[in-house]
Amino acid sequence: MELALNEDQTQILDFIDSLAKPYASVPMHDVSYALTSDDLDNELAENGFLDVMSVEELGPVTAALVVEKLARLPFALESAASALVRSLIDPDLPRPLCLVEEGRLNRPVRFLRPGASVVVVGPSGVRSFTASEELIAPPQEDTLYAYPVAFLTGLPDALTSHDIAAEEVQRAWRVALAAETAGLLGAALESLTTYLSERKQFGRPLATFQALRHRLAETQVLTNGVYWMALKAAGTGDPADAALAALHAQDAAKRVGYDYHQLMGGMGMTLEHPMHLWTYRLKLLTAELGGRGSQALAAADAIWG
Amino acid sequence: MDFAWSDEQQAFRQKLRDFLADNLPDDWEKFSEHGPASPALTAFAREFCGKLAENGMLFPHWPKELGGEGLGPWEQQILAEEMWSAGEPRGGQYMNVNWIGPTLDRYGTPEQKAQYLKPITDGATLWCQGFSEPDAGSDLASLRTRAELVDSNYVINGQKIWTSYAGLADTCFLLTRTSDDRKKGITILLVPMDTPGITVRQIPSLVGEGDIHEVFFDDVTVPEGARFGEEGQAWEIIAYSLRNERLGVPRFSLARAALDRAVAMLQERGEFSGEIVRAEAARCAAACDASQIACYALVQKRVDGEQIGAESSSARYAVVQCERAVCEFVIEYVPEALAGASPYLKMHHQRGIVAGVASGAAEIQLNIIASDVLELPREPR
Repeated sequence: MELALNEDQTQILDFIDSLAKPYASVPMHDVSYALTSDDLDNELAENGFLDVMSVEELGPVTAALVVEKLARLPFALESAASALVRSLIDPDLPRPLCLVEEGRLNRPVRFLRPGASVVVVGPSGVRSFTASEELIAPPQEDTLYAYPVAFLTGLPDALTSHDIAAEEVQRAWRVALAAETAGLLGAALESLTTYLSERKQFGRPLATFQALRHRLAETQVLTNGVYWMALKAAGTGDPADAALAALHAQDAAKRVGYDYHQLMGGMGMTLEHPMHLWTYRLKLLTAELGGRGSQALAAADAIWG
Repeated sequence: MDFAWSDEQQAFRQKLRDFLADNLPDDWEKFSEHGPASPALTAFAREFCGKLAENGMLFPHWPKELGGEGLGPWEQQILAEEMWSAGEPRGGQYMNVNWIGPTLDRYGTPEQKAQYLKPITDGATLWCQGFSEPDAGSDLASLRTRAELVDSNYVINGQKIWTSYAGLADTCFLLTRTSDDRKKGITILLVPMDTPGITVRQIPSLVGEGDIHEVFFDDVTVPEGARFGEEGQAWEIIAYSLRNERLGVPRFSLARAALDRAVAMLQERGEFSGEIVRAEAARCAAACDASQIACYALVQKRVDGEQIGAESSSARYAVVQCERAVCEFVIEYVPEALAGASPYLKMHHQRGIVAGVASGAAEIQLNIIASDVLELPREPR
């Protein structure tokens, strides 16, 4: 058992910090529902940050750390599936990687665009195809989710089958979900604590009121738990750990999604504050993989049979 | 980062399990229904801890110069997990090896070390914490039990309450007021419980027989040498001690073992196939895991020689959540467990329900997290 970051991990996270520095805050006057950056995405991919899982001395825990770190940015990046799932299926699959569940094809698909690799996971196995224009329907223009999303209109006639069990991909997907959620929770909490520490009402910062302090403290406990459970699940590769991490992550996301806007009052309803860039990503992640109930049942299956 | 136990750590855990299997009586589960501070369990613990000591398993995490094996924080954690999930056969002596011994070593005089460490390492003594008072619970710094230095003796007058283990303890780690300077006016005295003027009265409790007491001090006189640390140093010392204490009780191990036990009962009678009960059980398991891994992150800090700060409050709040979840799961789905069907689950419940109160209320932990982890501006006083 060794839970401190090793030198490689510290270095990688430092590199990412420097690379992502220009993207650490929302551009002035931007009031987008979602922020993306192809430049940052390219830089991360070109520098190999999304491929660390396949590097023997780095592995899945480092990949989870990378995903957690990137999810903290206000910019939405397709990192979780690429960093934590892609190498298990086919490390050469073109990005972005879109994971969809067989039987739930009508859901909004994150990062879906022409040229994206779509991986369909379910009872028929693990199959993929490259998304083309005619298989994609755009969402309504001002969709609230802070990811770029689109819909699949159907599946192509031919899909490539991959020699990996659907359960193994679902396990890795849960780790990816938990790691991304951990970063989003961390960034949202940090942003909220800053706002509530500065915003004064009744002559003092809102953060001095115990009714708010305790709610914030409780979410700190949840956020910390999700962070560590995601890393543990990445490290052990155990299906039960993955399901528990995803369950705790989705429970935490659901818990804070409403609260964080509520505690900010009117400002929380605006697009002038970036809170929605984290919370509406969190909200969409609560729908991933069948939602909290599915993670709970998967965990129960894995633990007690 | 590596989330796997080393071969040595796994072997250590197995050694403890073998020891427990060989040394707990056949009727241990029924026996452990006696509260952790009951006369029966206290007597058993004296014998059991003596055996642990003989086999090098009472304080293997202590440094070699103190007689330990110098094994380190992970082994301390493994030891605590195995003991706690077995129903804590060490009784109140877990405190001795978790924090009283290390605190004595750090702050004690040579005379105090000589007097108190040996009985601890022999597994033959019980301590109690004289902290809370009727008007000083969560607001501990307002305690009023007074100690006055008169001719090289401290004369103690006052009252403590909710004191665990006081009925059978040999020594009290007592917080007293020596000046009116709130936190800076508190001083620790190490007081033998057979000192004239001490009266202990048991308070019936949900936790089990013999656990909670009120303790009265009427002109109790101890020599000046009973002072632990300097006058006014108590707050610093107990902050150090409680950081160890908060980490020292791996409640999640017993909670998870209790959850598995409850699920096994449900499976046996074919009542664990519904989605709702399965999902609820999984949530409890997630809460146990969340608290365990939060504590492990702190153990790592200890391994690295870093000071454990307010994060211990965050881990402890997670532990409270897991205890609460499992206690409520058991009552909802296996209510007969607390009425005779499972001594183990009843034992867990009685230990679990105090999680949010013992060693500082859960709400105090939230205050600490808000101020010192999130660094929010402080509330006006």
